Amino acid sequence: MKGIIAFLAVSMTASYALADTGSAPITGNVQSRCIITTDTVGVYGNPNAYTLTTSASDGGVLPVIRFDVTLADAYYAQVTTPTEFTSSPSLSDTVSWTGTTEVKAVSDATNMGDYETNKTTFGSTTQYDLTATGSTWFKSTSVATYGGNKAFPGGAYSATVEAKCIAQ
Amino acid sequence: MYRSVIFALFLFLTTVTSHAHEMIPTYPKFNSSFMDGLLVTTMELFNKRSDVGYYEVAVFDKDFNAIPFVSSYTVYKVDYLQRVKFEIYIRIQDEPNVTYICSRSRVLEQRVSNTSVTSTICSKVKR
Repeated sequence: MKGIIAFLAVSMTASYALADTGSAPITGNVQSRCIITTDTVGVYGNPNAYTLTTSASDGGVLPVIRFDVTLADAYYAQVTTPTEFTSSPSLSDTVSWTGTTEVKAVSDATNMGDYETNKTTFGSTTQYDLTATGSTWFKSTSVATYGGNKAFPGGAYSATVEAKCIAQ
Repeated sequence: MYRSVIFALFLFLTTVTSHAHEMIPTYPKFNSSFMDGLLVTTMELFNKRSDVGYYEVAVFDKDFNAIPFVSSYTVYKVDYLQRVKFEIYIRIQDEPNVTYICSRSRVLEQRVSNTSVTSTICSKVKR
């Protein structure tokens, strides 16, 4: 009796397995997309009383943003450096801002090598035409100088870098 | 030997510190909706930014002037590693001008660090 049950169980399992091997559909849907990734959040260094800068040589940390695209010639990358503090102690004088954005690294040096030379800058925004698929890392420098070289009041300061990926 | 260790360390650090924002489709298309005079499209947001929990959506023309739209919310709560699908409704008469649908990360004030990064992704409407 046990033998019959075992035989039936084995034959049924085998027939299901055979049925399964007939077709194994795999479906997928790939869409073009742009992904913005914050690789490093920047930190302001304070080389003197009236300057805050993300420059590494002045004790800061450069913010690094990565753009991943899966379709060539489909997106613009725009990186805008800060022009105001998002939070700070009360400031009685004006703050002058400067900022630059550069390509830090690319995943495809052959097809992305000209990103830096072909960039356009307007105001505090730098725009890149993402002409190849892959990843591009951008680094931004932000410098804030307090009016009349006065000392920044003590307290916490924060500012925001804006990264935009715009479909063409 | 050292190269592979450094590369592994780099990958580990990159994975640990990365925060990403994604929105699809890149080229959405508006279709007729169940309401007369309104067109609809569906978008999907994916939040891989652990520092962000809210995304604001907006509709713009080619010069990035705001265009009125209707959605369940204008600011969506999207938890870390969560996907959210949402519908955007526009008026038929606005359709020729609608060019971009954008989502922008919103950082809570108490979470703002020394410098933070606001990410914006804009899809372009397909005609």
